[in-house]
Amino acid sequence: MSDEDRDFIAAALPVFLSEAEEQVERLEQLLLELEADPGDRELLDALFRCAHTVKGSAGVFGLDALVGFTHHVETLLDQIREGRRALDAGVSTLLLLCNDQLRRLIDAAGHGAADDPEGAPARDALVLRLRAACSAEPAPPPPAVALPVSLTPAGERLWHVWVRFGAETFRNGMDPLALLNYLKTLGRLEHVVCDAAAVPELEMLDAETCHLGFEFGLRTAAGREEIEAAFSFVREDCELHLIEPDAGPEQFVALIQSLPQHPRLGDILVSAGAISQAQLHAALAEQERSRAVGAPAAPLGEILKTKAGVPAAVVDAALQRQARTEGGGEDRFIRVQADRLDAVINLLGELVIAGAGAAELARESRQSKLVQANDQIGGLIEEIRNATLQLRMVPIGESFSRFRRVVRDTAAELGKEVQLEIQGGETELDKSMVERIADPLMHLVRNALDHGLETAEQRRAVGKPGQGRLVLSACHDGGSILIGIADDGRGIDRERVLQRAWDKGLVEHGVVPAEADILNLIFEPGFSTAEKITNLSGRGVGMDVVRRNIEALRGSVAISSELGSGTRIEIRLPLTLAIIDGFLVGVGTSRFIFPLDAVVEVIEGRSAEAAMQPDGCGVLALRGQALPVLSLRTLYELDDTPAPARASVVVVQSGARRYGVLVDALLGQHQTVIKPLGRMLRTLRGMSGSTILGNGEVALIFDPEALRRFAERPAQRATAPADR
Amino acid sequence: MDATTAWSPLPAEVGIYAAAELRAQWLALLAGLPPGGGTVELDSSGVEQIDAAGAQLLLALAHALKVRGGSLQLARPSRTLVDGCKVLGLSNLLEARA
Repeated sequence: MSDEDRDFIAAALPVFLSEAEEQVERLEQLLLELEADPGDRELLDALFRCAHTVKGSAGVFGLDALVGFTHHVETLLDQIREGRRALDAGVSTLLLLCNDQLRRLIDAAGHGAADDPEGAPARDALVLRLRAACSAEPAPPPPAVALPVSLTPAGERLWHVWVRFGAETFRNGMDPLALLNYLKTLGRLEHVVCDAAAVPELEMLDAETCHLGFEFGLRTAAGREEIEAAFSFVREDCELHLIEPDAGPEQFVALIQSLPQHPRLGDILVSAGAISQAQLHAALAEQERSRAVGAPAAPLGEILKTKAGVPAAVVDAALQRQARTEGGGEDRFIRVQADRLDAVINLLGELVIAGAGAAELARESRQSKLVQANDQIGGLIEEIRNATLQLRMVPIGESFSRFRRVVRDTAAELGKEVQLEIQGGETELDKSMVERIADPLMHLVRNALDHGLETAEQRRAVGKPGQGRLVLSACHDGGSILIGIADDGRGIDRERVLQRAWDKGLVEHGVVPAEADILNLIFEPGFSTAEKITNLSGRGVGMDVVRRNIEALRGSVAISSELGSGTRIEIRLPLTLAIIDGFLVGVGTSRFIFPLDAVVEVIEGRSAEAAMQPDGCGVLALRGQALPVLSLRTLYELDDTPAPARASVVVVQSGARRYGVLVDALLGQHQTVIKPLGRMLRTLRGMSGSTILGNGEVALIFDPEALRRFAERPAQRATAPADR
Repeated sequence: MDATTAWSPLPAEVGIYAAAELRAQWLALLAGLPPGGGTVELDSSGVEQIDAAGAQLLLALAHALKVRGGSLQLARPSRTLVDGCKVLGLSNLLEARA
């Protein structure tokens, strides 16, 4: 191998490894999805492609063991997708085991080994099983695709042709009459209408310029491509619409839905025969033209509807198909190094702060043009900020999908039947959070499987269906993402929890805490009600670590449960750790920020109506409802300046509850770059971070959830007790 | 009463190659058209070849006559001309005008 080859391999191998790992992950996910629907043609195709891709790329790097093994897997997958072999549970398990071997081989390649000798005997055994699983019969002829009758080419159909020949047609040596005569050889021309409206007066007419258009019916058995081929020489210079009035949109839609996967809208429509390649190219060229002149390009679907005469229902069906395809991971991506992206986001944070500083100076200068220019810059910075933060967002569904395997294997191990349901997989959150939430989620899922869900007999004995249900859900709520893990198992026995807490000394013996707090005892360190410790859970080191991990992400976790019905754990996390929209308030000389998403309304100058107690808590009547109100001045003892005559109230929402915060001044919206609080300030409850304002001052950022607990519970100290 | 003027018969080839010349001829003849227009007759029996360019020219002539209050008559059209007009959807060109 030459030096160049070595260099190439060294450079390209990491990319191959990362892609191969993705393919293998996808393979596993697909196998698990297929268990629910083993005949799904698109999934089977995608399954084959995963193996095929790995095999092909591995060949480039001379990873013979990987190529050889993958080949056997691919062979079986090919048979399965052709329908010669069914994907039953046994085959599925075999393929999952093979996939694990693929992982081993890829891992070995990552460590510079072209083979993994330890795993060789296992692989040989698998190859024998793969071969046995392959069907020995020759492939049957492919089943005829049942097309709706009117789409069968054998019959003659009435096409409607609308054509405007271009100006250069004659000069290019083309003759529309000859073309129409040619079309007559394909079928019959009916009702030809010549559109001469564009022909100028004889005085002005250039005899060599074509101004003619025609509309006619063409009754022919020929297909779209053949008809369009007749126009191929004039195609560049004319406007042609070829419409099938016979075929209703519904028939196209049915055909589109039965197509194999296509990532692109145009390809879908071409495959369905709703448009031809040439029409697709024309529509794409039109998009390009718009873009080239800086006009907003209409979506391809729109162009096809309006210019190519494709019925709207057909385009919509194709768009839906495309959306499903893209959801399946066929998007076009650019691979970006994560730390480069982080560097950009950091710079962006600095830009936000610097921009705020510049805007401040501009305001002081009182030069309106300067202020305006800065406002514009501020707006652009905000847009870039949003776009950049979006780059880091990934759908949580990817994480959730990993749990399918865990649930499957764990349930089997425990002898339980469990079905995993995933809701809201497309909900996005910051990539770094996805990674850090994986372990806590894993623990909670395992807990649910181990302790929450009963065995099939136990369930049937109490009248539940034998199969247990585990639901992983995610959705956005204000500025947070809510992740739920719910099961319909045995629920949590509060009595046992309480007893355990008494036994462990977590709660004074005989004291019964409030209802909501009993369940939260589970999160206390050293707590576990498992009678036996399994290798999954029960060691009592789980739940408190879970809560700590989540709180480290500035999130919170809540648990609700009903004995006999099930348990639900809800994790609330901020969408991003980096930059948020904030609302700036002033109390005395101090400045604070509320996350704008949490601010419901602001009430200026009505503090007199709030009945405030000396401890800083009070109540305000707001539209007939009682709103708990917190006075920051009192809470944080910010007495350096006298209280203003008319203070204001910021109404904050956290979860489903609202409360008010009494502040001196409302200072408006503020793009807030979050800087973490130093270690010294970690114990300061109610704060989730800090930021630097345009004038260089530091403002503390509130955690609405933590503050709410203050507002609703009187007589609390603002800082945590020293012994924690 | 409409006067009918006969212009030169249509040549054997009424197509792209003859179009420019025919146009020039017809423009000159249009200038000499009596007021009130009348019918201009073109003997079309000798047409052996017609293409879209030629048809377009005939259309323009028909229109030019119409705006002057006259009309075009393609007299004794050859088979070729008839077929060509039919394919092009211009059979109305061949209809005799009153």
